[in-house]
Amino acid sequence: MLHGFAVRLVAGLILVLAQLTPGVAQGGKYHEAPGLAEQVKAGKLPPVEQRLPEAPLVVPVVEKVGEYGGVWRRAFLGPADANNYVRVVYDGLFRFTPDGAEIEPKIAAGAKSSDDYKVWTILLRKGARWSDGAPFTADDIVFWYKDVLSNKDLMPSPPSWIRNADGTAAKVEKIDDYTVRFTYDRPATLFLTEVANQDGADGSYAMFLPAHYLKKFHPAYTAKEDVDRMAQAASFKTWTELFLSKATLYQNPERPTMAAWAPISRVSDPVFTLRRNPYYIGVDKEGNQLPYIDEVRFTYFADQQALNLAAIAGDFDMQARHIQMTNYPVLKEQEKNGKYRVLAWPTFGGADAVINFNMTYKADPEIGKLINTKDFRVALSIAINRDEIKESVFLGLGEARQGVPAPWHPYFPGKEWAAKHTEFNRAEANKTLDALGLTKRDAQGIRLMANGKPATIEISVVPAFGAWPDVAQLVARDWEAVGIKTVVQIRERALHFKLNDANELMTSLWNEDTTAFPFTGNAKFDPRNVPILTLGPLYTRWLQSGGKEGVEPIEPIKRIMQLVDTARTVGHDGQVQAAQELFRIWADNVFEIGTVGLTPMVQGVVVVNSKLHNVPTTTGNDWPLRTPGNTRTEQYFFAK
Amino acid sequence: MTRYIVQRLLLLPFLLLAYSFVIFVIMQAPPGDFLTTYVATLSASGSSISGEQIAMLRHQYGLDQPFIVQYLYWLRDLLSGNLGLSLEYQRPNAELIGEQLGLTLALAVMSFVLTWLIAVPAGIYSATHQRSVIDHLFTVINYIGVATPNFMLALVLMWIAFAYFGISITGLYSPAYADAPWSMAKAGDLLKHIWLPALVLGIAGTARLTRIMRANLLDELNKPYVVTARAKGLREWRLVLRYPVRLAFNPLISTIGWYLPQLFSGSLIVATVMNLPNIGPLLLRALINQDMYLAGAILLIYSFLTIVGTLLSDIALAMMDPRIRMET
Repeated sequence: MLHGFAVRLVAGLILVLAQLTPGVAQGGKYHEAPGLAEQVKAGKLPPVEQRLPEAPLVVPVVEKVGEYGGVWRRAFLGPADANNYVRVVYDGLFRFTPDGAEIEPKIAAGAKSSDDYKVWTILLRKGARWSDGAPFTADDIVFWYKDVLSNKDLMPSPPSWIRNADGTAAKVEKIDDYTVRFTYDRPATLFLTEVANQDGADGSYAMFLPAHYLKKFHPAYTAKEDVDRMAQAASFKTWTELFLSKATLYQNPERPTMAAWAPISRVSDPVFTLRRNPYYIGVDKEGNQLPYIDEVRFTYFADQQALNLAAIAGDFDMQARHIQMTNYPVLKEQEKNGKYRVLAWPTFGGADAVINFNMTYKADPEIGKLINTKDFRVALSIAINRDEIKESVFLGLGEARQGVPAPWHPYFPGKEWAAKHTEFNRAEANKTLDALGLTKRDAQGIRLMANGKPATIEISVVPAFGAWPDVAQLVARDWEAVGIKTVVQIRERALHFKLNDANELMTSLWNEDTTAFPFTGNAKFDPRNVPILTLGPLYTRWLQSGGKEGVEPIEPIKRIMQLVDTARTVGHDGQVQAAQELFRIWADNVFEIGTVGLTPMVQGVVVVNSKLHNVPTTTGNDWPLRTPGNTRTEQYFFAK
Repeated sequence: MTRYIVQRLLLLPFLLLAYSFVIFVIMQAPPGDFLTTYVATLSASGSSISGEQIAMLRHQYGLDQPFIVQYLYWLRDLLSGNLGLSLEYQRPNAELIGEQLGLTLALAVMSFVLTWLIAVPAGIYSATHQRSVIDHLFTVINYIGVATPNFMLALVLMWIAFAYFGISITGLYSPAYADAPWSMAKAGDLLKHIWLPALVLGIAGTARLTRIMRANLLDELNKPYVVTARAKGLREWRLVLRYPVRLAFNPLISTIGWYLPQLFSGSLIVATVMNLPNIGPLLLRALINQDMYLAGAILLIYSFLTIVGTLLSDIALAMMDPRIRMET
């Protein structure tokens, strides 16, 4: 499934004008869930033909056409875990296909771009409706643009994806009820990749909002005193907080949605429940309105261990989030008892534990100089016995590799680069370190730097996905074996990031999970982003201050930034070229040391109820794909 | 006595003011703020929020204001009787605390009653039958009870329940009832689940209380007045219950007020491990996520109850033991 990736991520002129053929609609024969049919009979709902758009989204099924009914039991860790919901519904105008190779229309009917990629037109589905029955039209996108994005109180500055070259927002206009045009002053080749993620994730505003509902809370449409009064009644300080809360689906079950399931309780409740949206725009090939499953129930767990225990007991129907990879053997063992099957969805490229160097480390200039020496970094990389890490920490899954894309991805720079500097060679590492002048050693065999101090590297680790502290300990042992003293500091998350911001971390251990999307989102290769890992906080400062403060990035990093800029203005082939060069630079310079990758570490151990069908055995698994959202969750079903 | 009570009550608002400042300072002490933690949580679950989005949220939540301004805002809300808004839940703190209050109290009262029902008779029996087989048995059980961290006990019991009986005891309801409206069936379901956490929570307290009761009573039993009463022919049980037991109660009564804040907060770790929906995990979560207004609200109520609880203890003690009078 993943092999056919040699397809455009973003293609040329007319990208997707998909599924406009109303094939299934002929004869007006659609089918609906029994519960909805009853409501139609009782006169509480219009018939299914009137609820669906003229040309519904036809969702392909993985195994077979399903049956209606059932509750999908999941677990979540409280309000901060709202992305759990975001991933399940993947409520976007467009979405990534299961393998992550393409972008397909979802709520929207299609999109096309001008030859120079500066003008993008999004087509909507005629007759599509919000979950309360109100029509979904171009006005809902224009409302987002005019009253949210362009409102300085709600958004002090426009997000980067919608920005022109000069920092202003691109123009968005309604052509007719079902057509919206985006006009940039620069080529926006990555437009659809970005749009596929404007779904309200991370507490942001989705790029389409129910104008008819939200106008009640916006001072442009409702008297300011009334809005202020409502804000005060809800304990909010300003109307903007009220508006955000009202516009956020998982905080406000009243707010209409376009997703397959609509919340009926809040993410701050002990059980967060979603119920089928009777107006969902999708059908299967036989004309059955989706979703098949009636309800999704997220049960709150205060503790991840308790959640894992419940997963082992078979309390969830489909869940990968928060399942720890270390439990993989236990889960496998309990498959029969728990009446579930365990799937492994490997990460979407990169590496699942990398040691990231801070290229602008200043606290100890001698160490800073060593870190800035490529040979030193290479020596440390080949001093690591990756097989041991793979066997003991990653249960033998995955492979030794640097942080580059997966082999099935068009951006993959080639095998030799994925394996660059990963061959375990202690003798060679020692030779290189000797050549760097680190020949003197103390009584413990630790190499002494020019200033007579022992060469000491600190690895800062946050136990975020589980076994990273173990990886750090193994790396520390390997490095001490070549005479580099290594201190493993296990830190609480917030402290770690604070130190990172303050440029006080020497190295940090995290995962490299942005290789599939180096030009969008918060890719870790570009110091202009403010991501989790940064190769040099002072580079970022230099770039932000226009060269007044901080440290000027070195040549290879400047080249990476150039490549990112180029990629944003060229078509698919140019992007592939730019990405491959970027990853060659990345692997060769070892700004981060990749250890083991392509394991199911990040939300890749999937527990699936034996009765649940249409869940693919393998799929692209990444945050931009909103996995499992990209597996088209609306076509999951329970066999009776 | 009345004067003493009035004095203490007058002092209360000033104490609370001082506490509110201390609480706020402590809340702000860890590095970063709510958003730093939020970003860390997001990144630990595979997503990466943009710097712009963070800056926008920080501005919206007022976290970019200086410390003292944030404190004064909070204080202003508190003075107008508003506990503020939880950053994480985006809902009023009073509402969040209110939702958990019923179950927290139910659980705490149950474990409290359980503790006293078991501990007092056991303590009396142990003291009056010192060095008997049963006394030794109680002693061993008590030491185990005191020495075992109760979250450990919770985990062990949960594992046994799962491994041998195939039931998962997390939470207080079966899944079917978790968000159902209140009914007899739901109350029954609650009773089916609540006894185990109540027992776990009660065990350490029971053990400690039994030991104290036993020790106090042993001190009293050898005193001359007991010998005199016995010599006068008072029946043994009547004698013990009427005089030494009453005196032995004093240290227990003087700490009974400490239960008040405990009733409110529930047991933090046990409740988290057992996934119980009470205020303990709410507080723990607020602290971890640096949701400072929610944590602040809970801690402030906690402080308030501690002060009131101590006062109630003093009053109860004065009522139980006529010899005690307040010096002012």
